[in-house]
This record gives sequence, structure tokens and C-alpha cells, in this order.
Amino acid sequence: MSVDQETFADRYPQEAELVRRAFLVAFTALGLGALFGIFQALHRTNVLRIIPSTDYYTALTAHGVLLAIVFTIFYLVGLYQWAVTRSLDRSPTNINFTRAWLTLMTVGSAITGVTILLGFVDQIGISADVLFTFYAPLQAHPLFYTGLVVFIIGTWLAGVDWFRTWLHWKQDNPDERIPLQTFMVLTTMIMWYIATIGVAIAVLFFLLPWSLGLIDTVNPLLTRTLFWFFGHPVVYFWLLPAYMLWYTVLPKLAGGRLFSDPLARVVFVLFVLLSTPVGIHHQYVDPGIAEGFKFIAMTNTMFLLLPSLLTAFTVVASMEHGARQRGGEGLFGWLTALPWRDPAFTGMALAGLMFAAGGFSGMINAGMNINYLIHNTLWVPGHFHLTVGTAVALTMMAGTYWLWPQLTNRRLYSRPIGLLQVVMWFGGMALMSNSMHVAGLYGVPRRTAEPQYAGFDFNTAFGSMAELNIQLAVGGTLLFVSTLLFLGNLTLSLGNPKVEGLGQSLPEPLSGAEDSPRVLDNMRLWAGIALVLVVLAYVLPLGAIIQNGGLFGTGGDAYPVSVLGTFDGLDAVLELLGVGR
Amino acid sequence: MSRGVPAVEDEEEVPGSEQSVSAPVTQEEPERELTHEEFDPKGTLALILTYFAVLAIMWVFMYFVEFLGNDLIVVG
Repeated sequence: MSVDQETFADRYPQEAELVRRAFLVAFTALGLGALFGIFQALHRTNVLRIIPSTDYYTALTAHGVLLAIVFTIFYLVGLYQWAVTRSLDRSPTNINFTRAWLTLMTVGSAITGVTILLGFVDQIGISADVLFTFYAPLQAHPLFYTGLVVFIIGTWLAGVDWFRTWLHWKQDNPDERIPLQTFMVLTTMIMWYIATIGVAIAVLFFLLPWSLGLIDTVNPLLTRTLFWFFGHPVVYFWLLPAYMLWYTVLPKLAGGRLFSDPLARVVFVLFVLLSTPVGIHHQYVDPGIAEGFKFIAMTNTMFLLLPSLLTAFTVVASMEHGARQRGGEGLFGWLTALPWRDPAFTGMALAGLMFAAGGFSGMINAGMNINYLIHNTLWVPGHFHLTVGTAVALTMMAGTYWLWPQLTNRRLYSRPIGLLQVVMWFGGMALMSNSMHVAGLYGVPRRTAEPQYAGFDFNTAFGSMAELNIQLAVGGTLLFVSTLLFLGNLTLSLGNPKVEGLGQSLPEPLSGAEDSPRVLDNMRLWAGIALVLVVLAYVLPLGAIIQNGGLFGTGGDAYPVSVLGTFDGLDAVLELLGVGR
Repeated sequence: MSRGVPAVEDEEEVPGSEQSVSAPVTQEEPERELTHEEFDPKGTLALILTYFAVLAIMWVFMYFVEFLGNDLIVVG
């Protein structure tokens, strides 16, 4: 036992502090997001209505943005900063630059977050109830978009920081292969740069000027398409940090080694290539996009199953390797030799299991004809609570149980509570997601405070709506309690004394990078091919949308969900600048 | 400098024998080391085949849930 191993906090105290800071923002967003989550679960099912139905969209927007953007991406930058630093064994080129991008991201999130939350206070007259999918014709207060721009610039600079650190490392190690974790960071960021082109154009050229009153109209289909250009790859931006944990940390927790480093690299390259040219599969029911383009998006989407199936094989094989080293025997008997009492392991394994279920409902979503049956129903949130809500969120929480002691030199407050927490999340999500999928099949809509209608009953094939509602409410409550247990456990851990010997190493893969062709490490090549694929998938549909509806649309009214009252400071600023509204 | 592993390495250990920092202290350490050649992931194959079987059954089930209960949808 190498009990004297240095922790990350010992070796890189400044970097560890920044990782903790990123996690602090992530977990604050997690707590707030979970609070709005329980509001919705109880409100929709009419179990308990704390907020008026008119405020439902404020809660829904806060839930979506805080969890899907702030929690996931702050966790990502914290994890990736840890991964780049430890796998290159090198500090950032300039730590002040690292501090700067983290601060930018935090300021941007705060601006956007506060703008959303002000929607609860009618007197102020600022709000942004535009949901996580913030395309036209819904219009937010300009501060919402401004915060978002600042946040995204922060993430771009994070990528610059990691690429710069890698390039300096490469000068010192010209013949070495890129360490696996850094490889994962760099490929993820290439994907992110390509993905955010869409949202940057949508916000800077259309939505922000439109909400400021600088342009009168936008083309709603264009902003929707640009949003989904970003909106699909962003799901891989959530997922790839979870994949990093599955590939590099989970084998260690299982007591084994990663089965294949080359397969892991191939998977990340496939995500660079295929994540973006698929966004139109969110728009199967949008008029104005030809069926042929939708068919191309569907085909690309089905190819995306490949890296996830490769992952299922590699990650499960790595777990099996650990189980066999622990003495596991038999075709299925080895499963009992896995370390199920380790919350980090159990959380990640259960998250992976739920991802497999999410894979099935994802295939339903991705099929053009089958999608019509579940489009805009509660099935869809049922699906993504399995993927981002469990595969990603539960893996991140489980990973924290392993990472946190190395970032703080303090032991976890309670391992059994951690174990209870991850199992409770799994159970709660199984109930909630199951009821959402089933209700979706019966036609229950998503994104509404009151899914019940007077004089109309949903026909259930088996069971009853009341039963599904109870399942949803109980599941949502369990998830909320699980979040509280997670946050409480971490907070109480800060009260533990600092100790030595919490450092951890990661085992080398069974099949290392030397078994793979060097071309896998050619970042320019993959970025180039990815851009070509994006051009092929998007130039014609975007051209057709602009040709048919004009760059700024053909007229129509915005639905300003920012309520502009007399207290609108922005109006005063605009007046000073001589810009009319 | 080491790649993929932090600065301190102990070559004599069975890989993976270091206790996970989140595991119970009573957790047993791996009892043997399996190299790439000695390890044949047939349990993984069994699990993945099970998953494919579940997918296939769900796919067939979907026909009954989705299509028999609804009108046909024609694309195009």
C-alpha cells in the first residue's frame, strides 16, 4: 500500500483550490436546481403547490439552466483542470489566466442566474422565463443573454488554457503520446468550440440585439436551428466528463485496469466527429426544414450509438478485470466481487446501468417516425433525466466522493451516507423516469404547470394517471433528499481534520496508447473532418431557412417573457445612449 | 515524467491494489494480477448480449405500445 502518496492538494495546492472553487459553484447550482426540481415534481402532479402556476416557467428555467449549464459545466471545468494538471504533471502556464476564466464563468453564471430568479419578483420587472431552450419567439431580458455570453467566453478561454498547457508539455516531451486524460480534455474542447459556433451566432447576432430592441424581428426557425446546432453537442459536453471518470477512475475503483486506451481514444474522436451534425434531430416536427435534411441528421445520430456501445464494452470489461483480480468467478458471478460498498464505485456503476436504459429511449427519440409519437410529451424529460440527470449527475456526485478527499486532504464525513445517497438517487430516478416515460406514451405534455385538462382524461393502457403521478412525486422527493444528503455529507466533511495518506494513483491500461496509431493524436485532422461534416450537414438547411424566412424573419411579434416595467434600468441606459426601444 | 499516473509509482504492487480513498477500510485488496493475455472478458460479452436481447424485446414491445394503439404516421 502506498499510503504516503501525495494528494493532488499537496502537489498542486493552487490548482486544487481552483478545482474546489469550480465545484463550489457547481454544487451551489445543484442545490438550487434540485429545489426547483422538487417544486415542479410536486406542482405538476398536484401534490403540493408552493408557487403559483404563473411562476412555473421561472422555476423550470432555473432548474434547466442551473443544472444543465451551471452544475454540469462547472463540474466539467473543475474535473478537467484536475485531469490536465495531473496527467501532464504540470501546472497551467499562467495560473492567473486560469483564475481569470473561472471568474468570468462565475460572473456570467451569476448574471444569468439572478436574471432568471428575478422572475419570481414581479415588482422589479426583470425576468427570463425562456427555459433552457431559449430560442425565439420567447424573449428574455438582455441580461440573460449577456451573462450567457460572458460564461461561454469563459469556457472558451478554459480550452485555450488547457491547449496552451498541453503545447508547452509537448515542447518538453516531443515524442510522447498525449496522456489519456489530457487527450479526453482536448477532444472535448474541440467539440465544444465547434458546437458553440451555433449559440454564439444565435445570441450575438439575433437574440441579444433583438432583446435590446436594436432589431425588430428574428427568424424563429433560424434561431431554433442555431440553438440545436449547439443543443445536441452540449449533451456530450455533459457526458464526456462522466466518460472520463468511467474510463480512467472507475477501473481503479473496481480494482482493475482500463481494458483499452486505444478504444477510449477512438470513442472521444468519434464524439468530435459526430456530435454536431445531428442537431436537426431535435426538429423533426419543425415545418420549414426538408425531410431529407432530417433524414441525414437521423442517420448521423444512429452512428452516434457506436461510441456509446464501444464505451459499454470497454468500461464493463475494465470492471470485470477488477472483479476477476478480486477473485470473481463465473459468467455473471464476478459481479458480486465488485466493491459495492464504495459509494464512488456503486454510484458510477448504477449511473452506467441507467445510461443503458436511456440508450433505448434515446433510440426512440432519434427515429424520425417514432419520434412523432413522443415529441413534446413527458417521455422526453423522462429520457434526459436518465442521461444527464443520472448517467452524468450521479457519476459526477460519485466521482466527488473519490476526488474530494484528494482535493481537501480531509476524509469524507460518512461513507455509508454516501452509499445511501447514490442508491437513493438510482431508486428515485427509476420511479420518476419510469412514470415520465409511461405518461409520455399516454400523451401527457412536457413543459406545463397543469397537465390536466377539464373534461378530458388521458387513456391509460394499464394503471391510472393517479398512480403515475404518485410515482413521479415520490421519485422526485427521493431525488431531492438524495441531493441534500450529498451536499450535507460534503459540507460536514469540511469539519474533518486534515490527514495524510489520501493520495491516489491511477493504474496503467491493460492495452496502452502504444497499441494505437499515432494519427489518433492528430487534433488538427479530427477538428478539420468535424468541420467538414458540420458544413455538409448544415449549409443547405440553413441556406434554405434564410432563403424562405429571411435572415431576420418575415415579421410577427416576440413573446417577451421579460416583463419590462418602470424599474427597468436598461431602458434608462439605452435612452442615455440615444437608442430607442 | 510519468504519463497517466501521478508522480509516485510503486512498481512492486499488484496494479489496482491501492485501496480506493472512498472504499471502506475493511475492503479486501485484489488477490491476483491478471495480464492482458490472461484476461478474457466473457462476462462482459454475456452482459452485453443480455442488453441486446432486452433492446430487441423492447423494440418488439414498442410495436404493440406505439403502433397498435395509434394511427399510422406517414412521413413525407
